[in-house]
Amino acid sequence: MTKKHLKLTDISKEGDVQLDEVNIDELIPLPPPYDKNEGLKQLTDDQKVRLVNNLDGFSALALPKPKDKAEENKYIGQFVAGLKKLLSKENNWTFLQPLLLSLDYCARCQTCSDACTVYTASGKKDIYRPTYRTEIFRRLINKYAKSGGKLRAALGAGNIEINWGTISRLYELSYRCTLCRRCAQICPLGVDNALITRELRKLFSQELGWAPKELHEKGTVLQLEVGSPTGMRPAVAIDNIEFLDEDFTESTGIKVATPWDKEGADVLLLHSAGDILSFPASVIAFTVLCNAAGISWTLSSEAPGYDGVNYGLFYDDIQLARIVTKHAQIARKLKVKKIVMGECGHEHKALITVADRLLIGDLNIPRQDAMSFLEDIVFSGKIKFDPSKNNFPVTLHDPCNVVRNLGIVEPQRRILRYLCPQFREMTPHGVDNYCCGGGGGLSVMSDVNFTDWKVNVSGRMKFIQILEAFADQPGPEVGKYLCAPCLNCKLQFKDMFKYYGAREKSGIICGGLAELIVNAMVDVKKPFITWDEE
Amino acid sequence: MAKMELAGVMLEVDEHGFMQETNKWNEDIARAYGAKEGINELTEEHWTAINYLRNYYLANGICPMIRRLIKETGFSLKKLYDLFPEGPANSACKWSGVPKATGCV
Repeated sequence: MTKKHLKLTDISKEGDVQLDEVNIDELIPLPPPYDKNEGLKQLTDDQKVRLVNNLDGFSALALPKPKDKAEENKYIGQFVAGLKKLLSKENNWTFLQPLLLSLDYCARCQTCSDACTVYTASGKKDIYRPTYRTEIFRRLINKYAKSGGKLRAALGAGNIEINWGTISRLYELSYRCTLCRRCAQICPLGVDNALITRELRKLFSQELGWAPKELHEKGTVLQLEVGSPTGMRPAVAIDNIEFLDEDFTESTGIKVATPWDKEGADVLLLHSAGDILSFPASVIAFTVLCNAAGISWTLSSEAPGYDGVNYGLFYDDIQLARIVTKHAQIARKLKVKKIVMGECGHEHKALITVADRLLIGDLNIPRQDAMSFLEDIVFSGKIKFDPSKNNFPVTLHDPCNVVRNLGIVEPQRRILRYLCPQFREMTPHGVDNYCCGGGGGLSVMSDVNFTDWKVNVSGRMKFIQILEAFADQPGPEVGKYLCAPCLNCKLQFKDMFKYYGAREKSGIICGGLAELIVNAMVDVKKPFITWDEE
Repeated sequence: MAKMELAGVMLEVDEHGFMQETNKWNEDIARAYGAKEGINELTEEHWTAINYLRNYYLANGICPMIRRLIKETGFSLKKLYDLFPEGPANSACKWSGVPKATGCV
């Protein structure tokens, strides 16, 4: 197979032509026993008739084919209008300045390419090069949104046409990036390709009404309507946690009781509700730790105060702002001193940093990250630990939004070095970590055949890195723990480990940080972490 | 929207074959889903799980937590995988005619 070189103008090829394809033998190889080629799931014949499939053979978005030329033209017109809006401060009050800087300063040195785990894992496909989508976007902005742009483009400064092929391919391509920002960190000029990608998603959502259904219709819309993208209403959230309190009281032998709606508590803890369903031990571990450390804390049952996710961060400023505001209003009403994040990376970024541009006056309630909160508890002297209870291999995944984007690197490591005798780092780690492959909202997206892309392409570098961290004891007879203090990351690992059979073949399971802390508590007599199938 | 015919009924489904109009569900549809995954007869145990899932969904607008499903039916997770080849979320919920779980799960 010869490597396919793409020109920037290929993006506007006639609508139905597929630009490239992913072949499993072109991807960087996995070590044994994961080196068998399973083949990648293709679109069915029926899907090929109904859905746009003109990028790489994957469909994350299930975009229906347009009915006719008039429909194509409507979207093309909206796209051009959206390009212009992104450059105006009335319409882009959130990210205009960083966008302009990232548009102006790229020197085309391609340093960012090798930092990109998607591009590297793919065997360096042009289509996944971080600058491929952003340079196209830059040229479209220059041509269609700046005065005299069309004339300059005609004279040779990158003349890319906006047609149906261009916009439908760019839409899919904006969801082939995990927004991990390794590229931005390595760029000598600070150009942020992830930010540009996210602005592109925003244009599609806010101008064309195009967004992944898991992020919008069944994401932010559902959260604003019933309280959570899981569909969990307040009464169901309370009922579920009461069930878990009882269930874990039985299984751990210590009394578990989660407080609700305590006005005037010091801390409002804001979990991701998905943890209640998929990783309930994480939620219960926080309850056990807060109670044991004597913290004055509460959960909120007011929608959406029991679900800290904010998918708006991934694709839409308006939805982002609506949810951030709701979260802050709920905290203000409860008169808490601060909001503490659950183990959810994008919640950290949305509420701790981006929210600073949105929350003013008494809505600007102090917010604390989960890592330093847990560190304070562990080293408060109020809980007795026996680190030998955690005597199994443990490695740490750095969620991009907590570590690279917020610089919270050491608290979680001080905990692990104290409580996990066999803790070992991955290479690279900290702010240089690799993304799990599910960042930027990808981990909750599973339409058509997209899961195959996530586990094979965007998660590939991470999977290799995890196996390498445990290479001293590779077999399934030794239970190993991947500590990933972020729900989005855990879900990506869940998909990936299931796909590859990592628990059966290598004994690796994935969970959060709080569970490891509880597992080391002297007062918790039975093991909190087990390698049984959940 | 994709369509699929099951037990003589044309259904709107998502790209993974989950029903979008849960009120059109009937027991023959559950049997037809099972047959597509190689389970040609639904036993009393299948119905215990399907009825519990469906009733919980209709009352709460969401599928139950796995832990609750295990506790209420008395089936271990392994047993649930024996009954439903793709497991509780991807087979049992689908056969019960409820939409695919979303939202960080």
